[in-house]
Amino acid sequence: MGSPAASWLSHVRRTPLLLFLMLYTVISGGPFLWVATMSLRTTPEIFAAPYALPSRIHWEKFVEAWTKSNYSTYFWNSVLVVVTAVVLLTVLGAMVAHCLARYRFRGSRAVRFVILSGMVLPPQLMILSLFQILLEYGLYNTLTGLIVVYIAGHLAMTVYILEGFFAQIPQDLFDAARMDGYSDFEIFWRITLPIGVPALFTTVTLNFIILWNEFLYAVVLLTEDDKRTLPLGIMHFMGSHQLDVGMLATGLMITIAPIILLYAFFSETMIKGMTAGAVR
Amino acid sequence: MQAGGTLQAEREGKSRASWLTRLRPRPEPDARRAGPSTLAIFLAPALLLYAGFMVYPVLRTFYNSVHTIGPQNVQKFVGFANFHELLSTDLVFWKAVGNTAIFAIVATIADVLGGLLIALCLFSRPPFAKLLRVVWFTPVLMSYVVVGIIWVWIYDYDWGLANTVLRWIGLGAWEQSWLGDPHTALGSVMVTHIWKWLGFNMIIFLAALSALPGEVLGAAELDNCGWFAKLVYIIIPMLRPTIVNLTVLSFIGKMMIFDLVWIMTGGGPLWSTETVSTYVYKRAFDWNTFDLGYPSAIAVLWFIIIMVFVVLMTRLFRQRDKLEF
Repeated sequence: MGSPAASWLSHVRRTPLLLFLMLYTVISGGPFLWVATMSLRTTPEIFAAPYALPSRIHWEKFVEAWTKSNYSTYFWNSVLVVVTAVVLLTVLGAMVAHCLARYRFRGSRAVRFVILSGMVLPPQLMILSLFQILLEYGLYNTLTGLIVVYIAGHLAMTVYILEGFFAQIPQDLFDAARMDGYSDFEIFWRITLPIGVPALFTTVTLNFIILWNEFLYAVVLLTEDDKRTLPLGIMHFMGSHQLDVGMLATGLMITIAPIILLYAFFSETMIKGMTAGAVR
Repeated sequence: MQAGGTLQAEREGKSRASWLTRLRPRPEPDARRAGPSTLAIFLAPALLLYAGFMVYPVLRTFYNSVHTIGPQNVQKFVGFANFHELLSTDLVFWKAVGNTAIFAIVATIADVLGGLLIALCLFSRPPFAKLLRVVWFTPVLMSYVVVGIIWVWIYDYDWGLANTVLRWIGLGAWEQSWLGDPHTALGSVMVTHIWKWLGFNMIIFLAALSALPGEVLGAAELDNCGWFAKLVYIIIPMLRPTIVNLTVLSFIGKMMIFDLVWIMTGGGPLWSTETVSTYVYKRAFDWNTFDLGYPSAIAVLWFIIIMVFVVLMTRLFRQRDKLEF
């Protein structure tokens, strides 16, 4: 490979590969850049030339979307639901995972089986009766109802990931802590949680992304406009202003901006988080 | 677990023995034990939520599936009548089953093969591999609503990217109303779904590829093994567990597909993209039939079918594994 001719040849051989790489990069990332340009252009401008760059940047569209098109309500609903659900999921999931990984107790197998079997249940199997149940509990059309459903629905995956990690923490640490007179809660709080931070990060990113994007439960369980989360809000806007492509693109940017922003800084954590359930 | 159990028994035995010999009144503290109240505090909140909003709904769906549930929750037991109607006279259901099956089979194969292909591209260490990996994964992070709306625009007849590109490269005759034509709608939604998930499979394959033992690949190179032979005879057999895993995972996901179809076509035109899940939703909330029993029966039946497939697939692949080694 040392001679210039050989390296030139290897470059030629690799040209199709490089072209394919460029093509796939355009295909996978291009649509988002396109939406980003459209979010800064007005609808008449877009219809005149759909693929042009913004000639004048209309930042005011974001202000308009935020104040006039109700996107601020959708955004804060999403933030409230997702943050609450993720925090509670992490705490409750870690408590269960700690118990299953640490303690031997009667019924631990049954508890593990019941919770982990939640991973194979399709949402379609719960959604119809959840609609009935939330109506009966008075939780239909409330953000609390949605949060509770989200926690129950994603507990299985959270416990699965956390337990796998917690079980690998050496038992000696816990024996020593017990000798030193730590209570069960101190052991959980001062040993399991600090050591488990990488796994907690994983579940937090996974749950955050999935819940931020969640659509099926939300569309069934929320109908009032001021309760809608972002995905529902966008769908609603699409339904009523189908031709206002420019405004819709601005709404899409508001939806994906938090994810893109986090992804720019924590890409590895997010990739790891999203794929955590699939790697064994 | 087994090994842990015996260790545990040993430890207990020892502590009991030392207690007997030294007559110490207090047994050694055991970090594997916790009192019932401690366990209750740790487990109860999660288990209660889980029981109320996961276990109970599932049981109730099974219960609903043999009833008709009218407005004001008027219930009537009908036995297996829902299932009977579903299997014998419901043509839309069978159309939905056909669409979902095509979707699950074609898109799963495309997803797994495509994911492997682009993972191999990155595995060959091209320039900017790290950056490309991050860009290619982006669609996985986006919600179906975002992806669906963008692709509705891409497929738009007048100004969509698909037709614009076709016109630009001189294939204007092929331009279509991609989502409006019953012949192309399902395929178009499938392309979008594959596009969204390729990056996911790529990451899993990349992890598996970099875990392959380097000596084997090196030895193949020394033997002047071509890249295609290397792929077919070495890489793919060694990736087998990953391929099986991803196939099953991807298949389950596609059997339940709802969001993307709902957003892009709503099941239309002419039921050409109707899937089982969208049909369940429509029967429950869109059609004015006011019966939650019938859609519950569809959900239950479909769940059982998915489970049967998953068990069959894992059995089948596992047995083949046994024969090979």
